[in-house]
Amino acid sequence: MSAAQPTTTPASDGHGEAHAHGFAHTATVKVLTRTFIALMILTLLTVGATRIDLGGNYNLALAMAIAVVKATLVVLFFMHLRYDRLFHSVIIVGGLLFAALFIGFALMDSGQYQDTVLWDIRNPPPAPIGPPPIR
Amino acid sequence: MSDDHPHDHDGHGDSHGHHGSPFIQHHYDDAQHQFDSGKLGMWFFLAQEILFFSGLFVAYVLYRHHHPEIFSYAHHYLDVKWGAINTVVLIMSSLSAAWAVRCAQLNQRKGLIGCLVFTIVCAFGFLGIKGIEYKHKIDEDILWGRNFDPCIASAGNHLLNKKNQCPGVKSSVVWSASSKKADRGCMEGDYDLDAHQEGVQGKCEVHELTMGGVGKNRQEISRRPIPPCEELAIHADGHAPAVEGAEGKSGHGGAHDAKKPCWELVENYHVCPSGPAALVLYGDHEVRTGVEIEAKCEAAPPPVALVDAFADPDQPIVEGQITFRKSERLTKHEAQHKFASGPPPEHTGMFFSIYFAMTGLHGIHVIVGIFIFIWLLIRAIKGHFTPEYFGPIDYAALYWHLVDLIWIFLFPLLYLIH
Repeated sequence: MSAAQPTTTPASDGHGEAHAHGFAHTATVKVLTRTFIALMILTLLTVGATRIDLGGNYNLALAMAIAVVKATLVVLFFMHLRYDRLFHSVIIVGGLLFAALFIGFALMDSGQYQDTVLWDIRNPPPAPIGPPPIR
Repeated sequence: MSDDHPHDHDGHGDSHGHHGSPFIQHHYDDAQHQFDSGKLGMWFFLAQEILFFSGLFVAYVLYRHHHPEIFSYAHHYLDVKWGAINTVVLIMSSLSAAWAVRCAQLNQRKGLIGCLVFTIVCAFGFLGIKGIEYKHKIDEDILWGRNFDPCIASAGNHLLNKKNQCPGVKSSVVWSASSKKADRGCMEGDYDLDAHQEGVQGKCEVHELTMGGVGKNRQEISRRPIPPCEELAIHADGHAPAVEGAEGKSGHGGAHDAKKPCWELVENYHVCPSGPAALVLYGDHEVRTGVEIEAKCEAAPPPVALVDAFADPDQPIVEGQITFRKSERLTKHEAQHKFASGPPPEHTGMFFSIYFAMTGLHGIHVIVGIFIFIWLLIRAIKGHFTPEYFGPIDYAALYWHLVDLIWIFLFPLLYLIH
């Protein structure tokens, strides 16, 4: 968080753009347009990929992989994280990690109570295995 | 503004004349300090936004994990075309938002205003397309939870008119019981699609009307009754391929002669998940030219009448034959891809609960973004932003990119289910 961050050192903006002010990275036209074109191509790819049956969950995996690549491009170049302070990356990756924990733990737990909660009255769950509860 | 810049890279800050922007608050050391503080806060906000949305992603992941069949069915109601266009629109607006930051940094006021205007236009475009999609779903009762009820149905003693299908009326999906394939159909007039009807008496009069004349002169020439299927039951073992498509769940008891049309009362017919229906089954019977179906049922309120006139929806459209209008009829390819799996699985409405919650929350973010960008546009026109003070543009752009990010995930998750 100090001035030691390389965000605005001359080395990081070697593209020769005139920096009006030094305290943030200025994206170059080249980076912006190339990121945009890459995002467009990936959008086309992900739509096109649905026409191919990869079997199993591979279609979902491919779609998610493309989405992750697109998201990474947006974060790195549109949101300047590539040139930004490391701490900002820590914050956002931390947020993503906690979201992953949230989803992961919820998924692990989701089948646990299915039998006791969502049973059909005509089709009750099997009797619990093990000794009867102690009263 | 302090005269001594504590940061070495601010050393050149004095070389241009924006010293002392009126928007640099006095409790910051300098413009750099203010900018960094704001940006740090913005990144924390974005992290919590991710966690905020992750609750809905949990709902999505859990429901998809447990009910994959609902997802692979329900996404057919979404149009990939609109989703893809919206993705492009949003990425374009993201580009212009990023460009706006660049313009502000380089003191390009006109460029900044242009970028902001373009971003706002794209945001409105996104909402407009979303509106088209929502309207279509509302019109066809493709809604959340129990409100998911896309069926063709007519309440009361209304006619179900085959000839007049679809002139700007509610159109929906009909599942053809005989072919196990869905087809499109719609009903005459605008009926209340209350599926929770009671009191079906089981007495219907169904007639096949032969019509003559064109336009206003169109009138009934003759009518013949269509018998209930029970009377036609010929196969004692209940094996009747033309009817068994309903998978027995809807109470189809009677087998019938596939060559003759008949009607039967259906409780909880799949197409109307929770409503009774009188279903006219045609089987292999050829629908004659100039024929309409009239169904009147005795009940208070009377049951829903459904017509399934086409044993084979893949049949090519014959000129002069009473049939679905071409635009309303699915091609073979479309039928396979859109409704190949027959009637909606149970609880398909849950998909749309998740769909509306996720796209709705995302849409609210888009609306908030529009207000923010309009505010920034006004300030940009007033010339508030300088290379020394462009924090708000940068923060708003970060927010807008996050909105884009969320959509980058929503699009494949909702629209591109294989």
